[in-house]
Amino acid sequence: MAQSVDFENLVSSYYGTLYQFALSLTRDEAEACDLTQETFCIWAAKGHQLRDVSKVKTWLFTTLHREFLGSRRRQTRFPHMELEHASAELPAVSPATIYQLDSEQLLEAVGQLDETYRAAIMLFYLQDYSYNEIAEILGIPLGTVKSRLTRGLEKLHHLMTNIQTPPPS
Amino acid sequence: MNRDEAKQILLLYRPGTADAEDPEVAAALALAKDDPELSRWLAEHNARQTALREKFRQIPVLAGLKEQIISEQAAKSRAASHRNRIVGVAAVAAVLISLLVLAHFFLPFGGNSNGGLASTLDHYKSQMTAATSSGYSMDLLSSDAGKVQAYLAGKQAPADYVLPAGMQKVAMMGCAAKTWQNSKAAMICFRTGKPLPHDQIGDLWLFVVDRTAVKDAPDSSAPQFAKVNGLMTATWTQGGKLYLLSTDGDESDIKKFL
Repeated sequence: MAQSVDFENLVSSYYGTLYQFALSLTRDEAEACDLTQETFCIWAAKGHQLRDVSKVKTWLFTTLHREFLGSRRRQTRFPHMELEHASAELPAVSPATIYQLDSEQLLEAVGQLDETYRAAIMLFYLQDYSYNEIAEILGIPLGTVKSRLTRGLEKLHHLMTNIQTPPPS
Repeated sequence: MNRDEAKQILLLYRPGTADAEDPEVAAALALAKDDPELSRWLAEHNARQTALREKFRQIPVLAGLKEQIISEQAAKSRAASHRNRIVGVAAVAAVLISLLVLAHFFLPFGGNSNGGLASTLDHYKSQMTAATSSGYSMDLLSSDAGKVQAYLAGKQAPADYVLPAGMQKVAMMGCAAKTWQNSKAAMICFRTGKPLPHDQIGDLWLFVVDRTAVKDAPDSSAPQFAKVNGLMTATWTQGGKLYLLSTDGDESDIKKFL
């Protein structure tokens, strides 16, 4: 049972990635802190209802995302658009360019993505979540996850190519 | 599957993850092994994916967040524990109050006479006739009516009762002062002359209490008859007092004493 999960260990294990996810969603440090903290508060109150301990991480990310949506007073979910025509040829942004980006620049680029793409991209890279897990966390169909990732990556690469990076020393 | 289709599939491929287990991805990866151009594209793609993954994971986490979460949760737990203690105390208090309320209404003697089931005529008759069952005793054993009245007066029980004509010649055996709610009731025991077991003092009992002590006491001096606890009873009001007479038998038996 999830009751056996130690709260402090749980926080130690996931607060970092939850905060990074929250920061990418909110683009505001204080709001990201609140969102992360609220997620653990909800766990403390309701976590015992979770029967499968292996689902703790997914539960936390799902809860954080729901809280984010709630905080934005969204009454309806994102439309489940199937995005077509994703290009296989991403804009040429080199790995070296990516390595030269600092965190603020990366967050700035992610922040310019539509929320529709942002959550999927962050779950994709932060936790190596599978498409099915991302679909479960965001509450959207698998096909929509793939569409959002493809389109989101395309946009992210475009945004990164426009960032001025310092010349390599 | 051609090269473009393979690129489309591999667009979301992340090296070092379970993505390669997907049959479509696995087929595209196999194609890349035999296609130098696709292989170069894949190498570049993998490097980009790895770089992005590393960069995302390097986003700094606000210092002190972990400690803040843990300490605030601990504070909430302490507050909840305190709240639970208060709720527990309140629950115990509620139970005690409920018991007191129940005792007020259902305990036979000593309670408050103001309202409730406990002060009704039926309850009074039931309680008084029950007092005549085995095990009862007289406070005073005497056939002297004056002594009986004096004793009852001393106990603040009604002593200025008026015996019905039919009881004038019945032998008085004694009396007891009973508590009914907050009032005193007089219990006078008589012996009709029927053969009785050696340990039985009497077989006719008269109870007298202030009429106001019984909620729905009759106004009339005309007796009302009813069987209560196996005894025949007659109830009437006279001079501001409620009289209850009880004995074995039926209505005709008890009427002989009225």
